[in-house]
Amino acid sequence: MLVEDPDVEAGLAIASGLRFAGYAVAVCPGPRGHGQCPLTGPAGCAPAHDADLVVCNLGYEREVAREVLGELRTRYPSTPLLVVVPPEVDPDLREVLDGCHQLPAGATPEQVVAAVRGISEHTADDGAPSA
Amino acid sequence: MRSPFHSEPEAFRFLLVVILALVPIVLAAALGPTWLALVVLVVVLGGVAARATQLRMRRLRSPDLLVKMAPPHLGPAAERRVLVVANDTLSEEALLWEIERLGSTPRIHVLLLVPAVITPAARLTGAIDSRLDQARLRMQAALDRAGHDNVAGKVTGEDPLEAIDDTFATFVPDEVIVATRWEQTAGGLEPRLAGLVRERFAVPVRHLVFEPGSAGQEPDAGTEARYQREFGAAAARRFGLRALAGAGILAALVLSLVALARTTPTNTTALAEQVAAAPATAAPSAQASVIGLKVIASGKKGPDGKLHDDFTVTEFHVTVGQPLTLRIDNTDTVPHSITSPEAGVSIVLAPGTHDYTLLVKQAGKFEWHCVFPCDPWSMAHVGYMRGFITATAA
Repeated sequence: MLVEDPDVEAGLAIASGLRFAGYAVAVCPGPRGHGQCPLTGPAGCAPAHDADLVVCNLGYEREVAREVLGELRTRYPSTPLLVVVPPEVDPDLREVLDGCHQLPAGATPEQVVAAVRGISEHTADDGAPSA
Repeated sequence: MRSPFHSEPEAFRFLLVVILALVPIVLAAALGPTWLALVVLVVVLGGVAARATQLRMRRLRSPDLLVKMAPPHLGPAAERRVLVVANDTLSEEALLWEIERLGSTPRIHVLLLVPAVITPAARLTGAIDSRLDQARLRMQAALDRAGHDNVAGKVTGEDPLEAIDDTFATFVPDEVIVATRWEQTAGGLEPRLAGLVRERFAVPVRHLVFEPGSAGQEPDAGTEARYQREFGAAAARRFGLRALAGAGILAALVLSLVALARTTPTNTTALAEQVAAAPATAAPSAQASVIGLKVIASGKKGPDGKLHDDFTVTEFHVTVGQPLTLRIDNTDTVPHSITSPEAGVSIVLAPGTHDYTLLVKQAGKFEWHCVFPCDPWSMAHVGYMRGFITATAA
């Protein structure tokens, strides 16, 4: 599982929940001010490449987060995406979320873990790889 | 099996770099001498290595993306596994008390990892065992003090970060505690270690600093940032020095290869030039595969005090059946020859520099002479337009 969260503590909390639920995790703070996210560059992103599911909590309202989301969808179309979204989604930006699983902002780590479990079980039922 | 490349563009870029690197090497190999291909190969490899070094040093100074990893929790969900990494701080009462406290807490498993911190100097001087023994003593004292079955210990001679990495595959901690001093001491853990563990692993990491007689303290963000800066700069400096040493070795290797490549095909020429410069009766010529010599009109003073036509080499030593190349510069305007009917040799030397093959099929010493009318005195005297071919059996 890849958890993308700019908040280190929040990312670790989700990671901890996922670990205790039996998943191996990678936690990424997402694109940072002083470096280019490899996902948006030609090299690609190894953790995203290896992930069976990506939890994206980079702040959907930020352009850079939507860029990452777009890249994830383009490069790894078969990897499920769980996106944390604000209660009101801008209709102009809604298209980016097509095909993504959504979770309301402010979800607790337990809720994130439960959502991941649900998606994993669903994809396993469909014959897709799961964690 | 998944591709080692993270994306198609990455794979394409790798392919492009390989092709671009190969093009000059192949061109040099096809169009130039061997040494040029070697030089191009080394230059290309050097360029790639320099770029990799530059990127590595940049990354050491400021890692720009920090992805943490962690394996799934091991054991029942109610259990927690705590890894304590310490060495010289194990002598501190506050740390021993903390280990004891953790060990006495139900459903907490503690692994005390004690890296012996073996410096390169210690490896060179063979002081590894004493470092390991010290670490074992500290660990045992801590385990005795803890007195719980759920506290285990492990001493390692590995790099501390690598040892922690290994522990994540075996013990699978849910939390890591790194105990250091405020500043690194001889044989002690690097204070930056906690930050490195935090950057690498997706589990909570506590950095506790212990000094004699005081409780454990957690460094603030500013101090951790300072540790990161200093460690990054020191690591970049060490890496830079190693890269420089590597470049020096590479340069020495290149120079040796170039010298070797340039010397091997031409050393016979150098020898030939020496022979050519020697008097006609000088050194035998059998050992070289190419012999250089000149034919010079009025080039050598005879015993009569006059200048006469001559060959700069008039004695040839050959092995029967093995061709000897003569690179002869006939500086005269007319042809000359090396003719010996007994040896079956008849070489006509046109003006200018040309290569000729001297091949004798029977052993013996044979006289040769120039059949073209030139200097009558020279034609009659050995060492001028006359000489000997000595052919020995193989």
